[in-house]
Amino acid sequence: MKITPMRRTVQLLSLAGMVAVPLLNSRGISAVSGSFYSMEIGRLLLTDPLIAIQPLLATMSIDATLLASALIPAGLALVLGRVFCSWVCPQNTLSELFDAVGIRLGGRRFFMPTQGPLVRYAVLAAILAITLLYGFPLASLLSAPGIISVQTARFIYEGTVGLELALIGTIILAELFLVRRVWCNHLCPVGSMLSLFRFKKTMRVVMAEEGEHACLHCRECAKACQLGLNPMDGEIAPQCHNCGACIDACQGMTGERRPLSFRF
Amino acid sequence: MSKHFLRPPGALPEAEFLGRCIRCGKCALACPYRAIRIAGLLDGLEVMGTPIIRARQSPCYLCLKCVPGCPSGALDHRVKKREQVRMGIARINRKECLTWQGTFCRSCYDHCPLFNEAITMDSELRPVVNEKKCVGCGICEHVCPADSVAITVIPGGSG
Repeated sequence: MKITPMRRTVQLLSLAGMVAVPLLNSRGISAVSGSFYSMEIGRLLLTDPLIAIQPLLATMSIDATLLASALIPAGLALVLGRVFCSWVCPQNTLSELFDAVGIRLGGRRFFMPTQGPLVRYAVLAAILAITLLYGFPLASLLSAPGIISVQTARFIYEGTVGLELALIGTIILAELFLVRRVWCNHLCPVGSMLSLFRFKKTMRVVMAEEGEHACLHCRECAKACQLGLNPMDGEIAPQCHNCGACIDACQGMTGERRPLSFRF
Repeated sequence: MSKHFLRPPGALPEAEFLGRCIRCGKCALACPYRAIRIAGLLDGLEVMGTPIIRARQSPCYLCLKCVPGCPSGALDHRVKKREQVRMGIARINRKECLTWQGTFCRSCYDHCPLFNEAITMDSELRPVVNEKKCVGCGICEHVCPADSVAITVIPGGSG
């Protein structure tokens, strides 16, 4: 079974939910409320781990409820990897869309030559250091999914949007004309924080090296990767956000051999 | 600090509020009067994304539905009754106030949700703010008919 159609369904449902929540809330139906910073489903509070530690750093005071509300999202990342990024995040959905448009238009754009998580962790550390030193919640202003969801709500409630959306526009332009998928791949602090929650059993793309599952070295997986990663290189986590495009491409070439698959 | 804004009920003191608030917008979603607006960059980088109330346009009706939903504690969950709220204090500009200038008007007095407590009438039937009782909801500012608004809420305090 192909992974991509399932992922597209989840992406569309996430976008629909992002619009439906403020629409329903504005009519007094608030069983689900919030944004991609923090949301409440029934009485269950879920907060982006990056956003949950931010007040702790900014004010040096602990709010146990807020920290506890990040446990489920962090746990999900621990088990399934950064699936929030590839299956839910509206910025990834937008970036994927514009990347596909960019390819159609035939622009000459490149992935960043270095693919390790070094830049990603340096950016995250800098953002957290600024939060700590200046008590300023910078991460909130740099959370693309948070901004997109809050501005959607603001548009529905106030009929206007804020300049925060300039960040989203900048990301899309930079990815179209400078470096492909640079935000999700190297800069986004939300994704970087989620990628800290991993251990050796975290779900990842694994290539079978030998025997009946052996790789044909057709390179279809690397071509399919929207982040420019090459599963044939071996370890691609934590840059890989488990979208499954490589596995689908692999299956298209190799059928039942299935050299590539998600493993725990 | 840039401009000072009226915050939703239960808000911590401004400096602490700015560090605690995660800019999630949930309080604005909870407000049935759409009185809680999301500040933009033009309101100042520090306050961008935080909830503000522009009382002249749309004041707080003290339903307190926003408070329990706040995930970060920027709105203090212990604030459960309207009397506990301390969003600010109303100030009357007597040079602009119709009654203080001799025309009879009691809009602010009549509309104050803490009726006859936060705004009282003096012996000559002129409105006076009781700073101990006023919660700063801004309804008086919203209903004031004077051209340049004779009663405004000065944001501050906590709660």
